[in-house]
Amino acid sequence: MSSRKKRKTPEHAPTRAILESISDGVFTVDADWRVTSFNRAAEEITGVSREEAIGRRCSDVFRSSMCGDACALQETLKTGKPIIGKSGYIVNKEGVRTPISVSTAVLRDSDGRVIGGAETFRDLSEIEALRQELEGKYQIGDLTSRSPLMQRLFEVLPAIAASPSTVLILGETGTGKELMARTIHSLSLRSRGPFVAVNCGALPDTLLESELFGYKSGAFTGARKDKPGRFALAGGGTILLDEIGEVSPALQVRLLRVLQERTYEPLGGTRSETADIRVVVATNRDLTELVRKGRFREDLYYRVNVVRMELPPLRRRKEDIPLLANQFIARFNRLQQKSVRGISGKALAILMAHDWPGNIRELENAIERAFILCGDGYIDISHLPEELTARNAGTHPSADIRSTHDLIDAQAIRTALEQNDYNRTGAARALGIHKTTLFRRIRKLGISLPARDGRTRPQK
Amino acid sequence: MKSWHYHCSLDLLLTVIRISTIKTAFAYWDKRIAPVFDTARHVHVVTDESRQIVEETLETLPESPLVQKALKLVELGVQTLVCGAISKPLHGVVTAYGIRVVSYISGELCDVVKAWIDGNLDQDAFAMPGCRGRQAGGPGEFMREKRGAKAEMPEEPKNETAR
Repeated sequence: MSSRKKRKTPEHAPTRAILESISDGVFTVDADWRVTSFNRAAEEITGVSREEAIGRRCSDVFRSSMCGDACALQETLKTGKPIIGKSGYIVNKEGVRTPISVSTAVLRDSDGRVIGGAETFRDLSEIEALRQELEGKYQIGDLTSRSPLMQRLFEVLPAIAASPSTVLILGETGTGKELMARTIHSLSLRSRGPFVAVNCGALPDTLLESELFGYKSGAFTGARKDKPGRFALAGGGTILLDEIGEVSPALQVRLLRVLQERTYEPLGGTRSETADIRVVVATNRDLTELVRKGRFREDLYYRVNVVRMELPPLRRRKEDIPLLANQFIARFNRLQQKSVRGISGKALAILMAHDWPGNIRELENAIERAFILCGDGYIDISHLPEELTARNAGTHPSADIRSTHDLIDAQAIRTALEQNDYNRTGAARALGIHKTTLFRRIRKLGISLPARDGRTRPQK
Repeated sequence: MKSWHYHCSLDLLLTVIRISTIKTAFAYWDKRIAPVFDTARHVHVVTDESRQIVEETLETLPESPLVQKALKLVELGVQTLVCGAISKPLHGVVTAYGIRVVSYISGELCDVVKAWIDGNLDQDAFAMPGCRGRQAGGPGEFMREKRGAKAEMPEEPKNETAR
């Protein structure tokens, strides 16, 4: 204990012992905001030694997010009321933030005069870590879900990732099959290796073959040098074969060999190459149906159907819609430097009522489009794409068939007008009705038209 | 020949003058260097030419997002930021925009500004507690200009001076 401290604040031995033994940091300041005592825990949490803290301005020692206008001690000394549990963070000399919670008290002398203040602070890092772990229950990697269906998948994911077995991921389009494959890769022992995704449905067979297996120079016209295939590029890592149901029977045979023997030959090559890869396969087709129809080899089916993960469509995990929507909002905020705060209750109800045939990708698309119309604040019904709101208008209790027809009519007319540059004749022709009928409908449905009428040609 | 020399030296002179104009932002609160830049709302911008102050202004910084803080400094045209504690991510953002950061400085604003102008800021007296001898950007951190050295500071004896 420095001599300066002894002079300023006479501390009794028991008090000192208590202060030194607790795990919360405690420091006191005088009327000039200079530190007059600094306990052991304060040294540990701030990384500043007692010798360096005593006599310095408390804000220079503490370096908290509240130092300045939000100073808890300042408020306490002004109001005379203690503050309990105000949260913030402190920044240490390495620039690392530590979350803390502070409580304050006023120090008075025997005459009741304010002579300074005391501040206690608690390191919340451990609590933060626990909170994140709790939240992590709903999150593995980039996958987020509160749905029990997904929770079951999350539970087995680490074990699946750790094993070398081939995984078959089933699910409709846009349900996150690639994301699931990437998560498996990142949790596996091969996470440091490459992750290569191949969309087998996007390429014609011949191209797919050379893509997967690669080729040696001279294998065919135009093959000027060796090109490694995706199997080679994924060496040491994981390969995802998406839309495996689209692969031709001939190629299926070659794939079967890779899975069975872990070897293959590049096109135009004679030597076999080893495939040091973990295989994940995905499809939105019913493979058993394809096997039955003879379009998919049964032996290949049994090779890929070792570990099977079925991703539920979004309509069966609607409880995740708010969660996913908020995730997308956060992401687009980051990407577009915007500050949309969330979704209004009414807009969320519309999202929950929709069936989402395009699943999560469709939801992401809807949020992205809403972003275009929504500046900041909350996404409302008016920002949502028309397909969502139009469908929902029909479920309004007072709606009848006529008004639903009107809505469809109005939409069709608007689309025809847009597509024909607001030329009435063209739009009428597109709709298969007479021009006067079009005018009547426009008037009746109250469709507003822009000032330009598409009759005059724009001057070039 | 003579006019060529004249143009040459005039250009050189103008270049030297341009280089000697320095704009520095000092994050402050209550007449002192603000303790944490992440939450600082005000900067004192000092423009000096060859160590003579020509302009001083007070500017407000946006609260969030942190990137906007850095962008405001870019907008103000400052070359160096002098501040207190700064979190690593924010430090990265500011330096990514080409602004030098002289951090973990404490003291009265006017004293710090004067020391900076005189090239004396690397004294222990201006270092935040627990940060003595800390030089984030290497030995050149306290140099005002990129070229042209300031006078070499003698080794300060370790003292307990409190401000």
